[in-house]
Amino acid sequence: MEEWNKKHILGIKDLDRSEIETILSLAQSFKGISRRDVKKVPALRGKTIVNLFFENSTRTRTSFELAAKRLSADVLNFSASASSLNKGETIIDTIKTLEAYHPDIFVVRISSSASLPVLAKYTKASFVNAGDGQNEHPTQALLDMFTTQEVLGTLEGLNVLVVGDILHSRVARSDIFGFEKFGSHVTVCAPPTLIPYGFEEIGATISYELDKEIEKADVIIMLRVQKERQGMSYFPTLREYTQLFALTPERMRKAKKNVIVLHPSPVNWDEEICSSLKEKLHPLILKQAENGLAVRMAALFLVGTRRRTL
Amino acid sequence: MKILIKNATIVNANKVFKASILIEKEKIVSLAQRIRVKADKEIDAEGKYVFPGFIDMHAHFRTPGREDEEDLLSGAQAAVRGGYTTICCMPNTNPAIDNEARVKWLIEEAQKDDLIDLFPAGAITKERAGKELTEFTALRRAGAILVTDDGNALKDLLILRRALEYSKMAKVLIAEHCEETALTQKGSLREGYISSKYGIGAIPAIAESLIVARDIELARYLDARIHLMHISTARSIEIIKRAKKDGVRVSCETCPHYFSLTVDDVEAAQFSGNFKVNPPLGDKKDIEAVKKALRDGVIDCISTDHAPHSPAEKELPFEEAPFGFVGLETAFAISYTNLVKSKIMDLKNLAQKMSYNPARILGLEGRGKIAKNFKADIVIVDLSRAGTITEATFASKSKNSPFLGKEFFGVVETTIHNGRIVYSASSNE
Repeated sequence: MEEWNKKHILGIKDLDRSEIETILSLAQSFKGISRRDVKKVPALRGKTIVNLFFENSTRTRTSFELAAKRLSADVLNFSASASSLNKGETIIDTIKTLEAYHPDIFVVRISSSASLPVLAKYTKASFVNAGDGQNEHPTQALLDMFTTQEVLGTLEGLNVLVVGDILHSRVARSDIFGFEKFGSHVTVCAPPTLIPYGFEEIGATISYELDKEIEKADVIIMLRVQKERQGMSYFPTLREYTQLFALTPERMRKAKKNVIVLHPSPVNWDEEICSSLKEKLHPLILKQAENGLAVRMAALFLVGTRRRTL
Repeated sequence: MKILIKNATIVNANKVFKASILIEKEKIVSLAQRIRVKADKEIDAEGKYVFPGFIDMHAHFRTPGREDEEDLLSGAQAAVRGGYTTICCMPNTNPAIDNEARVKWLIEEAQKDDLIDLFPAGAITKERAGKELTEFTALRRAGAILVTDDGNALKDLLILRRALEYSKMAKVLIAEHCEETALTQKGSLREGYISSKYGIGAIPAIAESLIVARDIELARYLDARIHLMHISTARSIEIIKRAKKDGVRVSCETCPHYFSLTVDDVEAAQFSGNFKVNPPLGDKKDIEAVKKALRDGVIDCISTDHAPHSPAEKELPFEEAPFGFVGLETAFAISYTNLVKSKIMDLKNLAQKMSYNPARILGLEGRGKIAKNFKADIVIVDLSRAGTITEATFASKSKNSPFLGKEFFGVVETTIHNGRIVYSASSNE
């Protein structure tokens, strides 16, 4: 295995292909641990990991918490309410205060995009990004890639179709950067109002027609319809959105036989995915959660045991 | 008190010439090759350049309300350190400068320190709320020569129309902050590749040019004067250029950061709050357009938009940090280095952008030029020396500059205001 020397995992943007491969292959070996009778290894014993969540999250936080515990690290969960987030000073003061406990890793979720490099300066600990605003959610992309590799056997030369609210999605950004690093081609499919300005420059193909794109896709990543975006004229009604962009049995019939459908969870059934597809599609989406645990164990292990350089 | 500046290379907007300058009381009394007078103080300016004191049409002194970030004394000290002797301070204070008493109070307070001439800008609308006009004639009587709701563009076109019309009688200059907030929302960064790449709330370039176009149409229709502040986009410049050609009475300013930094610099600085400004930094095309517009006269002047902020505010994550840079101390060096030394324009143009044109636009007589009977507001600079911008560069209470660590040519050595030396680099070192 390649030697790991990145202090932080802030985004897929900052990782190169071989670093991603290192994480994925380590995740593969960690995946077995969770299936054992004794689901724990002493890999990070004596290390302290702080889950620093300035934004609500249950799934990602519990996944990180369990990942840390299975590596025998001590875990501290710190969730700040949305109100204290408004006073941004508290973010820095909070980090400085927790620094007094000499943590080794902060797992951070925050609503402010691209804010982690600045915040990481206030601690000696490593940062692992658990979602920063609309910028990145690197471990989600890593688990999407891990799952893809597990099912399709490769990450190269694939047609990846990301459907839904690209504009506000950190998952979409991380996935695009990740899959592109392996020479896969990403198409984003959404109404034009939910595609960021000038997004062609990112390297993704832009499409407004799911019906046209679906037959080419090897991997489909469906994004949640975010409730808070409704009624803001990104799309006129949920009805019109689902008619155009929901995954339906009719659309699935056009897709390749071995296509895989991923979703960052939780799924709003009958919004982005028709519930009659639940039986067929949900098992893999649930498997993503298992893989997420393995990927997060790998990420925490690598930054937690990296060779310290000056 | 008599001051004699010998061997000066004088830079006016129309010519550069060698002469000695005799200052008596508050005025320049003589300008000649050789002046034989016993002065109280002699300054040998051999090898140095002497500009008319700079005039900033756009600075924030945070008084009243946020005196922890800047007060009138620290603001004035920042000004003279940068060679500025006349300052127009913005009314977006708390409370806003929207009545004659507040204008008067600011002027009187500034006179106590007596470092600069302060011309507080008044608000266009009460409490800058965009609803009711302030008393322009009373503001003018108290000393406000410019009115603006800076920080906001006027949303209500009828109010803007009334303001432009009424200003003809009140003889105040209407200045507009050009931002269509319906399109900027809570954005922080110029909309484009980088905002999309990092998912950062974006401000489209047209948020500026839409208001520029709108205001120009209104000014044209009413044959009214309007001044457009901190212009930053190539498209705004095209619209202004066309309007000027058509005879619309529009003037405009830009700031040093709009011809020096791009959104790429924000990415390189890892989205430090110190790089957040409104309007946001643009791309290379904008920088080139701003430079060209300065050279061709489409942009009339360089203002600072000096915007002090506390460290606790600027160390916030990018999307939460407030907008703005300090700039009084650094504007000249940045402008000289990036415009004159890089051969975009000559020294005369720089004197025009920083002194002559602001005086003309504000209707300030007897300043903006080094000439007999003009005000003895003078700045002596050394163009051969370079300086690195550090926190110590700033006399301002705040240090929020994106130029920290950068080196620029042009050091302000001496600033004279009303015939008195108000700043001297040597006594400061």
